[in-house]
Amino acid sequence: METGFITIFWYLVVAGLTVPLMLLVGALLRPRQRNVGRSGAAYECGEDPVGSPWVKFNIRFYLVAIVFIIFDVEIAALFPVATLYKKAVESGSAGLVFAEIFAFVGLLLLGLMYCWVRGDLDWVKGIAQARPVK
Amino acid sequence: MGANSAAFAQSLQTWIGAGPLWLWALVSAAAVIFLLALPFGGLATYAERKISADFQDRIGPNRVGPWGLFQIFADLVKMLAKEDFIPKGADRFLFNLAPALVVIGACGAFAVLPLGRQLIGADVNIGILYLFAITTVIAPGLLLGSWGSQNKWSLLGGMRAAAQIVSYEIPVALSILPVVLISGTLQVGLIVDQQGWSWASSAAGTPHFWNLFHNPFCFLSAFLLFVGGLAETNRIPFDLPEAESELVSGFNTEFSGIRFGLYALGEFCDVFVMSAMVTALYLGGWQIPFITLEQFLFPIPSGLIALIQFTVFLLKTLFLVFVVMWLRWTLPRLRVDQLMGLCWKGLVPLALFCVFGTAVWMWVFGGRSIAQLIAGFGG
Amino acid sequence: MSAGLKLVLLGAQALTVVSAILVAFHPNILYASVSLLATFAGVAVLFVYAGADFLAGVQVVVYVGGVTILILFAVMLTQWLYEMRLRDVGVKLLMPCILGVLFFSSLFKVLGGLAAWVLARPPEGLEKFAALPKTEPIGEALLGAYLLPFEAVTVLLLGALVGAVWLARPK
Repeated sequence: METGFITIFWYLVVAGLTVPLMLLVGALLRPRQRNVGRSGAAYECGEDPVGSPWVKFNIRFYLVAIVFIIFDVEIAALFPVATLYKKAVESGSAGLVFAEIFAFVGLLLLGLMYCWVRGDLDWVKGIAQARPVK
Repeated sequence: MGANSAAFAQSLQTWIGAGPLWLWALVSAAAVIFLLALPFGGLATYAERKISADFQDRIGPNRVGPWGLFQIFADLVKMLAKEDFIPKGADRFLFNLAPALVVIGACGAFAVLPLGRQLIGADVNIGILYLFAITTVIAPGLLLGSWGSQNKWSLLGGMRAAAQIVSYEIPVALSILPVVLISGTLQVGLIVDQQGWSWASSAAGTPHFWNLFHNPFCFLSAFLLFVGGLAETNRIPFDLPEAESELVSGFNTEFSGIRFGLYALGEFCDVFVMSAMVTALYLGGWQIPFITLEQFLFPIPSGLIALIQFTVFLLKTLFLVFVVMWLRWTLPRLRVDQLMGLCWKGLVPLALFCVFGTAVWMWVFGGRSIAQLIAGFGG
Repeated sequence: MSAGLKLVLLGAQALTVVSAILVAFHPNILYASVSLLATFAGVAVLFVYAGADFLAGVQVVVYVGGVTILILFAVMLTQWLYEMRLRDVGVKLLMPCILGVLFFSSLFKVLGGLAAWVLARPPEGLEKFAALPKTEPIGEALLGAYLLPFEAVTVLLLGALVGAVWLARPK
């Protein structure tokens, strides 16, 4: 394990302690006040909130997250290969490595194109057909 | 390089001469977070107001202290002293966890920023991957905070924020790849080194050795990285999640006082980190054009070298932060479908094109940059 | 390893195990998802200790930044999912516990054998191995011995992508 990770650990600890520290300072600093006569309801520009705080199911959020994970795994697999590319260029086997990278990314790029053409990447699906021309 | 990559802690230990390495690592972490990250967050709020005022032909804060500088402290005290209001039915644990995740994500990234050759907190082998990874921790933070508010508008804002951050991470990662291809390493210190003196055979430290000018695909990639960084930090034109005129305040509606202050701090630190990422990867980090500090006309003490390198890095990063603030008052906000469309149909194919282009360039020209090719023709 | 490093390792192991238990048993599914986040983070620290620095980075990027968001979206968007309560209570808990113990003990035996094989190696060699950066060796493996799995992964990802968008299409 590299010693740099010790530094990273301390950075994360210090950053993580900053928030409770600030909240603590705030708690010590602020005047005591009793919650008199206010409802503590959620803020909706002065209106009373209507209905439960549930949003109707939108699958597009979930779809974005799935597509993100797919591309993220692809990029994660691409990083170590990319670090070797410079060495491959110097040793002359760049063409082979490029072909491998191209095959790897190209297939997924085809998938992206397919989704694009079929309209799956549109945030608001079928808006062109749904609304008549005004 | 290798097993000992705690550069800043190492240099502190050599400078003071005593103490275990882990203690100096802690000191370096505390120093950078409390003397760079947090003050930057504070100053950024002031700078944003002053710069916005300038763009809008106003004056901005000028009552509290010289040029309104003490406004920062006034705001800080105000936020700390405000009531810790948590709406009825809201989740106290999530209300506390969310800002913590955002601050951890934003400030934890400072560990690998190349502040100077001897000032990198942790020059680990996975440097740029760690930076990318730790900034992704912000997304669940925003999402949990918005859920904990028990407010449907907050929830919608938080989900849009998470969807946006998560989508734009792909172009950001793809824009990091050309630099990795060129430099052959993920280590940030090495990447910056290769943009200057120790790797060029002649004309050391010149701007045309910055990765920005390595090849045209890298040039494009730098802008894609910058735009992706804008989207990740919810800055205009991508600030729909905290749209002032549409969702009240989006995911941070129910956060008031110091919790909101911590969110804002996290966001500004994230802006700094993203700008620093572009600076380190494409603008040569701490490298000064035309000058090699270690081989200058007269020997310069290493402390002064570190200071100069830090200043150069800071200047480049702050310039990019200024551009981020500049864009706020220049461009209109994108609608959510335009935002998503821009990412998946625009930036991702472009970024992939840049990756392929850089790979082809390196293959055809043997990894040499435009500058090296021109120099090669010259003699 | 110094005492401080051992303490942090212990903390990471405790975090991982406790969070995993919370994921399985916490009545509030959202808190269970948050515990999942903590589990992923703990696993990332364990990867660092094992010398797999690159994998730790990928763990944070893909799992903490991606899978957590995915699961949180699923929980937040589905009301009936949120209001579900643990239904295996009392006697119904017996069978899952027995199966869990059986599975865990067989896993323990297999991994124990592997651990014994690893620990039989000289400790200095292990520490030297752990200190080496792993990005380039992984790259060399992906381009060398594991080239076919590397390319096959993209086919798998393509299948996942097309499957996901097909399922999400409006009928």
